[in-house]
Amino acid sequence: MKVLMFGWEFPPHISGGLGTACYGLTKGLAKNDVEVLFVMPKASQDEDQTYTRIIDASSIAVDFTQPHITSLFQNVSFIEVNSKLVPYVGINQYYQLVDQMRSGTLVTQASEGKRTFEFTGKYTQNLMQEVENYALVAAQIASEYDFDIIHAHDWLTYKAGVAARKISGKPLIVHVHATEFDRSGENNINDIVYGMERYGMSEADAVCAVSNWTRNIVINKYHIDAKKVFPLHNAVEPVLKEVVRKKYVKEKIVTFLGRVTFQKGPEYFIESAKKILDRDPNVRFVLAGDGDLMHNAIERVAELGISDRFHFTGFLRGAEIDEMFGMSDVYVMPSISEPFGISPLEAMRAYVPVVISKQSGVSEVLTHAIKVDFWDVDAMADAIHGILHYPALAHFLGEKGKDDVDDLRWEKVAERLKKIYNQLLNS
Amino acid sequence: MRKICIHFQVVQPHLLRTYRFFDINQNHNYFDDYQNRYLIHRMADRSFLPANQLMMDLIEKYPDSLYLSMSISGSTIMLLKEYYPEALDSFKKLIATGNVEVTGSTLTHSLASLNNKNTFLEQIKLQEEILQSTFGVKPTVFCNTELIYSDEIGEWLYEAGYHTVLTEGARHILGWKSPGYLYCNPYKTDLNVLMRNPILSDDVTFRFNDSSWDQYPLSAEKMIQTIDFFPEEEPLVNLFWDYDLLGLVQQDENGIFEFFKAFLSQLASSSNHQLCTPSTIVKSNKTKSTIHVPWAISSSGEEKDHNEWLGNELQQEAFSQLFKLEELYKKSTCEYTKLTWLRLQNAFHFNFMSTKWFPHESVKRIFDVYPSPYQAFINYMNVLNDVKLQLEKTIK
Repeated sequence: MKVLMFGWEFPPHISGGLGTACYGLTKGLAKNDVEVLFVMPKASQDEDQTYTRIIDASSIAVDFTQPHITSLFQNVSFIEVNSKLVPYVGINQYYQLVDQMRSGTLVTQASEGKRTFEFTGKYTQNLMQEVENYALVAAQIASEYDFDIIHAHDWLTYKAGVAARKISGKPLIVHVHATEFDRSGENNINDIVYGMERYGMSEADAVCAVSNWTRNIVINKYHIDAKKVFPLHNAVEPVLKEVVRKKYVKEKIVTFLGRVTFQKGPEYFIESAKKILDRDPNVRFVLAGDGDLMHNAIERVAELGISDRFHFTGFLRGAEIDEMFGMSDVYVMPSISEPFGISPLEAMRAYVPVVISKQSGVSEVLTHAIKVDFWDVDAMADAIHGILHYPALAHFLGEKGKDDVDDLRWEKVAERLKKIYNQLLNS
Repeated sequence: MRKICIHFQVVQPHLLRTYRFFDINQNHNYFDDYQNRYLIHRMADRSFLPANQLMMDLIEKYPDSLYLSMSISGSTIMLLKEYYPEALDSFKKLIATGNVEVTGSTLTHSLASLNNKNTFLEQIKLQEEILQSTFGVKPTVFCNTELIYSDEIGEWLYEAGYHTVLTEGARHILGWKSPGYLYCNPYKTDLNVLMRNPILSDDVTFRFNDSSWDQYPLSAEKMIQTIDFFPEEEPLVNLFWDYDLLGLVQQDENGIFEFFKAFLSQLASSSNHQLCTPSTIVKSNKTKSTIHVPWAISSSGEEKDHNEWLGNELQQEAFSQLFKLEELYKKSTCEYTKLTWLRLQNAFHFNFMSTKWFPHESVKRIFDVYPSPYQAFINYMNVLNDVKLQLEKTIK
């Protein structure tokens, strides 16, 4: 079986969970004897191609002399979008990019009716243009390569997936890693993004959602037939090296790690911290990450008078994240709406007990985590306090949580995905 | 003539309210009054009251041949007294018939027998007091929390004045032996041991409404046939159940009351069977042999051990922290906190912390109040911490 897969990013150049998930999935599929052709807008040629062949969309020449390709794009107009267009994670880089990037990424060289497109593969203001160009290239790829099924990750690639489907007639799966409702909240939905998402889901033969939480949003908010929406939970790659437990302060450390945005619920973390510090000043809270609510967060912490016990690290990466987990006693993910949420798994891999919101996809696959409603600050504070003060609980959660995570493997996810592929191919 | 010994255990805990860490040393109301009131009403309306009525009717019909035994925890008596006195009256009437032998137990469905002799004896004494004041009876037969028993617990009970104890017919203890005989404690041979027939008892508890079971539907005739099929020389059949089996574990709609009505009537009017209380059995039967129970057994799960309450690190930690307060309990003058400490020994609290998933957990967890064993543990420890502080403050 051969899959033509459309992604937006692939390790090592990633801005968040989407690329990591794509990598894990292709690796898992390879182990299940499924071949993957992975298309991405801009490959750097240092991607790990052990498990998949990477096709760099920037190197594909689109043949405009082919009428079946151009006919697909007769009415394409590019719309500049100015909103939170970030799929999955990585808003930090997004804002930096928006500041830095010049507009006009479409530079072409025409020769004999063919031309190539240059993609940034980033999340810029010209995103919509890139999305359209990507679809154009997808159509070209679909007519050149041989494959059985098409798989598109998140809304940026849906249009590409649909174009490939139209050209090849092969079944399409769109994979929902996040929805506009998670990114922007109920009242700030970007219509263009929503429309693009709904278009992809409607045109697809099947929709994979990273959790039942997301599956329900797809069914209820995008009005997609429940019969074609399948939950497909994420997994994590096994760690190569164990995280070293090393602390530099005597106090217990409670950590929040993620974008400081509406979706991630940092304010509930701050309110919980206040409740705990009122009773026990010998705890330190760390908010690691950056985002548009950063100023509000800092102000609130100051207002509550807990700045001496509440620390902001800014955006962390790679080794810094491991070091942070290595000194954490509790990891908290108070997300308001989290399609999946991979970070608790990374904490648990380092034997750190976790408190997570029930409004997350990851809570559906974890047994040994404390789950609370994101708004229930009392319950959240009580759970954190319990782990800090009852060593038996911290130890038990740490050990059992590790087992929990070790059980979530991409290979198993890919096995389930292969079943969905087969179901589509046989129908 | 084969003797049938039927025993019901009546238990209901005082559930804890959501008690946060910031309540410690601030608030001392530990119990969920609303929930406790609701649950005891639900239990009495669906189970105790109709069951008591059924037993009363049958006793009236067969006054000379219908005998039962029953234990009712002090906690349940207190809950009934506080929230549903009419239901308590119904128990009083039933016991006043004289056909129901009341057996001893711990006051609060306590797990004290698993490690703490003094507290266990204290629990027994307090339970005897409440039985005396409520029903005017003094028990001589003992039915421990979830039938927990070991040789050592038997010795303690003998010391406390009991001549008979009910326990589980655990297969790993009985081996080739049958629960259909009267046994005795190897060290105190005057202490009789009655062992539950687990298969027959569980047929009703777990399989009564299981349509995939090959004996479904279970009828009184079928049950009696099975009893008659046992070797003739076995003098006893011991059937021990939780009383809420009638109406809650198995629902009225599925015919559980009809089943018991037919089963008890047929036994009471049969010439081959005799319904007996434990006391009359030990008077008329000789013990067959000693039974060695080196480690505690119980009626719990497939393993019949104490894993359901002390199976994981959290439960063990809570249990050990709990009994560290024994000295403070003895010295404290605050009756309310002392009573709370006794209530915290209730097996149900430890059940909520269990991470072991055995097939029948839903039966024991009719009212699961915590989202996870972790929250159960945290809540329990928060309360225990405050109890400790309050006991310390009130030392005489």
